[in-house]
Amino acid sequence: MQANPSYNRESRLSMNKLRENGNALITRRAFVESLCGGFGAIGLAGMLGADTAAAAPIGPHFAPKARHVIFLFLTGGPSHIDMFDPKPALHQYAGQRPDSVDLRTERMTGGLLPSPFAFHRHGQSGAEISELLPKLAAVADDLCIIRSMYTFNPTHTPARNLIHSGNIASTHPTLGAWISYGLGTENRNLPGFVALSPSPRYSKLWRSGFLPSEHQGTHFNHSQTDPEKMIRYLRNAKLGPDAQRRQLDLLTALNRRHREAAGPDAFLDARIQAMETAYRMQFEALDVFDVRKEPAAVRQEYGSTPFANGCLLARRLVERGVRYVHLYYGPGQPWDDHKEINENLRKRCPDMDQGAAALITDLKRRGLFDETLIIWGGEFGRTPVSEAGDGRDHNPYGFTMWMAGGGVRGGVTHGATDEFGFQAVEDRVSIHDLHATILNQLGFDHERLTYRYSGRDFRLTDVHGRVLKELLS
Amino acid sequence: MISTVGVRRAPLLLLPALLAVSSAQTPRLDHFERKIRPVIVEQCEACHSSAVDEPMGGLRLDSRDALRQGGQSGPAVVPGQPEHSLLLKALTYKDANLKMPPAGKLPEKVIADFRQWIADGAVDPRTTPPAEAASSETKEDGPGTPIEEGRKWWAFQPLRRRPALPASNPDWTERKIDGFILAKLDENNLQPSPPADPRTLIRRAFFDLTGLPPTCAQVEAFAADPSPDAYAGLIDALLDSPRYGERWGRHWLDVARWAEDHPTSESTNRPHPYAWRYRDWVIEAFNRDIPYDRFIRMQFAADLLPGFEPADMRALGYIGNSPMYHKDPRLSRDVIETLASDDWDERVDAVSRGLMGLTVACARCHDHKFDPITNNDYYALAGVFASTWLVKRPIVAMDPAEADKLVWDHERLYRIKGMVGNLKELDTIAPELHPRVGAMTEEVEKLETELAKDATPLTHAVVDCGVWIDGSTPTVTWIDLRPGQPRDLPIFIRGNVANTGDIVPRRFLTVLSKGAPEPFRQGSGRLELADKIVNDAAPLTARVWVNRVWGWHFGQHLVRTPSDFGTQGQRPTHPVLLDDLAARFVQNGWSLKWLHREIMLSAAYRQASRQIETAAKADPDNRWLWRYAPRRLDIESWRDAVLQVSGELNLDMGGPSEPVDTECEARRTVYSEISRGRPHAIFQLYDYPDATQHTPQRQITTTPLQQLFVLNSAWFNYQSNSLAQRVRHIKSAREKVRALYQYTLLRNPTTRELGQAITFLQSREADLGYPPWPEYTQALLSTNEFIYLR
Repeated sequence: MQANPSYNRESRLSMNKLRENGNALITRRAFVESLCGGFGAIGLAGMLGADTAAAAPIGPHFAPKARHVIFLFLTGGPSHIDMFDPKPALHQYAGQRPDSVDLRTERMTGGLLPSPFAFHRHGQSGAEISELLPKLAAVADDLCIIRSMYTFNPTHTPARNLIHSGNIASTHPTLGAWISYGLGTENRNLPGFVALSPSPRYSKLWRSGFLPSEHQGTHFNHSQTDPEKMIRYLRNAKLGPDAQRRQLDLLTALNRRHREAAGPDAFLDARIQAMETAYRMQFEALDVFDVRKEPAAVRQEYGSTPFANGCLLARRLVERGVRYVHLYYGPGQPWDDHKEINENLRKRCPDMDQGAAALITDLKRRGLFDETLIIWGGEFGRTPVSEAGDGRDHNPYGFTMWMAGGGVRGGVTHGATDEFGFQAVEDRVSIHDLHATILNQLGFDHERLTYRYSGRDFRLTDVHGRVLKELLS
Repeated sequence: MISTVGVRRAPLLLLPALLAVSSAQTPRLDHFERKIRPVIVEQCEACHSSAVDEPMGGLRLDSRDALRQGGQSGPAVVPGQPEHSLLLKALTYKDANLKMPPAGKLPEKVIADFRQWIADGAVDPRTTPPAEAASSETKEDGPGTPIEEGRKWWAFQPLRRRPALPASNPDWTERKIDGFILAKLDENNLQPSPPADPRTLIRRAFFDLTGLPPTCAQVEAFAADPSPDAYAGLIDALLDSPRYGERWGRHWLDVARWAEDHPTSESTNRPHPYAWRYRDWVIEAFNRDIPYDRFIRMQFAADLLPGFEPADMRALGYIGNSPMYHKDPRLSRDVIETLASDDWDERVDAVSRGLMGLTVACARCHDHKFDPITNNDYYALAGVFASTWLVKRPIVAMDPAEADKLVWDHERLYRIKGMVGNLKELDTIAPELHPRVGAMTEEVEKLETELAKDATPLTHAVVDCGVWIDGSTPTVTWIDLRPGQPRDLPIFIRGNVANTGDIVPRRFLTVLSKGAPEPFRQGSGRLELADKIVNDAAPLTARVWVNRVWGWHFGQHLVRTPSDFGTQGQRPTHPVLLDDLAARFVQNGWSLKWLHREIMLSAAYRQASRQIETAAKADPDNRWLWRYAPRRLDIESWRDAVLQVSGELNLDMGGPSEPVDTECEARRTVYSEISRGRPHAIFQLYDYPDATQHTPQRQITTTPLQQLFVLNSAWFNYQSNSLAQRVRHIKSAREKVRALYQYTLLRNPTTRELGQAITFLQSREADLGYPPWPEYTQALLSTNEFIYLR
């Protein structure tokens, strides 16, 4: 990895405040030295070195534009037709079912269902955004809206797997794991890959697959605001940081010795590493995970719903060096609006709109916007034809996602669906293209970020993927 | 993605195609088969095949005729004229409006292959497009694999013993299994690992069969025993231990997705207070080595089997503790029937994937896209569950009429009480309901008083009882139960309960039936279903079970998709071994303890686990079993081991469940409360499977949050304290450390480890004025060596 001193944000860490003034450090050094006894210099360096990195990350292939990614995931499949992709023709042909929309989706659908929401042009770019999203409309010039996304499967689980891992099976490593594998963590006190979800139900979506297990996402329940509720067992009732450090040094010495005798094993390495991360997280997390420490004005800007807290927390995490935050909107599949699209979107959009827009504004204010790539979307979009009269079925043929920050051009509306919003027809963008672009912004050639497994090199984009150069600044 | 589907299907098509062509064309045909067909299948057919309702541009590429006829733009291929073939034009990406495949230009070499193929006359043996071959005239669809073709699927073939293979290394082999393992290792130029040392082996065997570690004394005695039968004797002793059933019964509970409540706990699906009785029955059944076929039959229909004892009623908890969804009676008939059909679906899924490795639930809305399972098959099975109802039944001998009254009184109380709360709110706006809700409220009170007096022990079970959903009143949907009357379900077209098709008689899956499947005639058909699973489907059922058992022993399966033996699953790594072992398992009376011996006495099982670099490079997944795969202990083994070592473990068996992570709770983890809706945190942390549906196998993760539990939880601290207490009477610090090593790591410390312990304790003593032994014991209990099975 190309050493880049600016990557190390250790100096900011609250850990340092809690322990290790100069003398304590020497004492620890002496302590570790005596633990390692006969190992000599190598053992000692290894032990103290456990602080920095267990497995050296691959490191970027070229100068990165972005250093962090926040994926705002609207589980269930949000309706592009009602948010970002206006289709006046739906009004003209309401209730009809022309041949071109007679496509098979998951369920039975009827005639064309016009969007009940008004669209207007916003910002200098004139991006068309529906009335549901006034706050995102206000930052329209920061958004790079891709109206021509498509995926391959009309069912939730396979489609979700595809957007998370580039493959419909539940076995391949997920995007966050690839990023952690490629970049490691920028902050040794926090995991490199964090999944924020109110429920552990979809834990497979933050798996590391066949990548070493240290790269799997660490899950936190962001519907809680108190870190001690969000993360169980965060505090040790008896031991202070120094005492626990001693204990962990002993444990690490024992584990490293065992590791040498047992031979190479990914699990043993991962657990040594996880133990260190856990130790540091105790101190870091009380601070980082506590969104209540934000000024009232900032919290107000985001809102107070779980999603809003998640957005704010995501900002706090990337600010402290977490590489990849995947934020799930709500438990289950809230955006799966098979019926009552009008009422449901009116209910659900405001806090999503506010949280996402506040995240953009806040990152900009802090100078983090350019180095943080935000991705917004779900596993697919929804059909222009109705289901159950007032709902929309899953639509893998065409849907909208947007990116912002991280070296992506703002004020862009890219690609197009057909006249009804069913199929992506112009400048089609596949999930693999999106993945290739995300990796590119982080400094990776997606064709070269590979992992050898079961006799061949695997990559996130399999044999596909094109970097969307036209969308990059 | 879609392309994988095509690739997997290709081999099925390959064979007849090859046979149909004369030998003169062979090199060109070979070129087509090797260079052209795979590319078409993988790159094109997702959008251009008969399997797609509306192929893009009207173009199909999955048969010779379709290819030559072409789509809206004209013929795709003109044999002998690459420059006039649109297909090649599209591949070369030269025309801005015609670039295929859309995801990106194919490599030049592939394009050259196509150019050559067209120039050579575009030889193409594909006379029938596969989708036509696969679908019948009358049906719109048809399963992805037609039934008759499906009967030939490897997993459905009769089991037969295979001759033992002559071993290339007779010194290594111990059991018949080893010949098959060795043959695959030879084939892949790999060597087996040397045998594990006795200390490792006894710990492995203890954890494997009992879920607990041996004591240091047991380890030493075994290591010192020179007898060649020592290991076999050890296995026998462990199989005789009651701890065995607690361990292997727990494995079964994963398959049975057993839990004590429902995914949500509302008024109509409150928790099951006696669910633990099923858990206890399972443990006893494993300890008694009830033959697996009988074990299955009892779980569907213990009450209908000869030799029924009242306590066997507990076996019915397999279905009796199924997850159930809340059915608010204010919702419409269609909504409630959808919820009910979700319940039935869960049972179809748990039974078909769990017992037969088949994804029958995929055929709920249409014929199975890949496997030989029809939409009708699905409703034929679902009907069995629409004809059974979850009730509490007595586990003691009773007069049948009294028992019947007790069962239905409890049933009514559970169901009506669940509805009343919801209906009371409705009562205010629907006055016509008033008398009925009043009567229900009274009935609830009356039943509660009466049943409070009754002390008959009950268990969650099933009875034969058809379930209909009654939407005849406008405001309330009633569940219409008809005891003794089974219900054949109509097909819910595309899964939609409001759109019903033909009624399907309850029966077994067509592809697994000998001849045409006969409708079930006895009650719900649950006994007949169980009989079919262990008779007609015996080869599949035995394969699936043997594969699961193999996976629990080795940490990895022979078929690596243990709940999918269909076309989308993986093929066995050792097909002959799996067949032979399953055949002998059945011949040995479906005895699980026989199977354990056969597996554990093999040299393959006794191998060392250490990584060998060259082997790891060639076979990183250890598919060919060149070593025993080391792994983290699962939550039950790990927690139980901590308890045993700390001296806290309470070996009382059976009875109501208890919380798992309170400090004083020291029973084995198998006796913990298991919730679908609110699993204990420690289970969530350590990969306990989600019991809302069948989970094929446990995942193993390693996260910082798990380590926080080790570092900080009150439970772990408590155990560390207890362990320290165990050596309190020992004076010398060195002797204490020695004893602690023997307790936790089953060995003596090395000189360095002794030194480390003393260094640590002295450094802390300097701070505290005394040596904090619990801090030290906590570190020992936290070591990788302790949580690692090798």
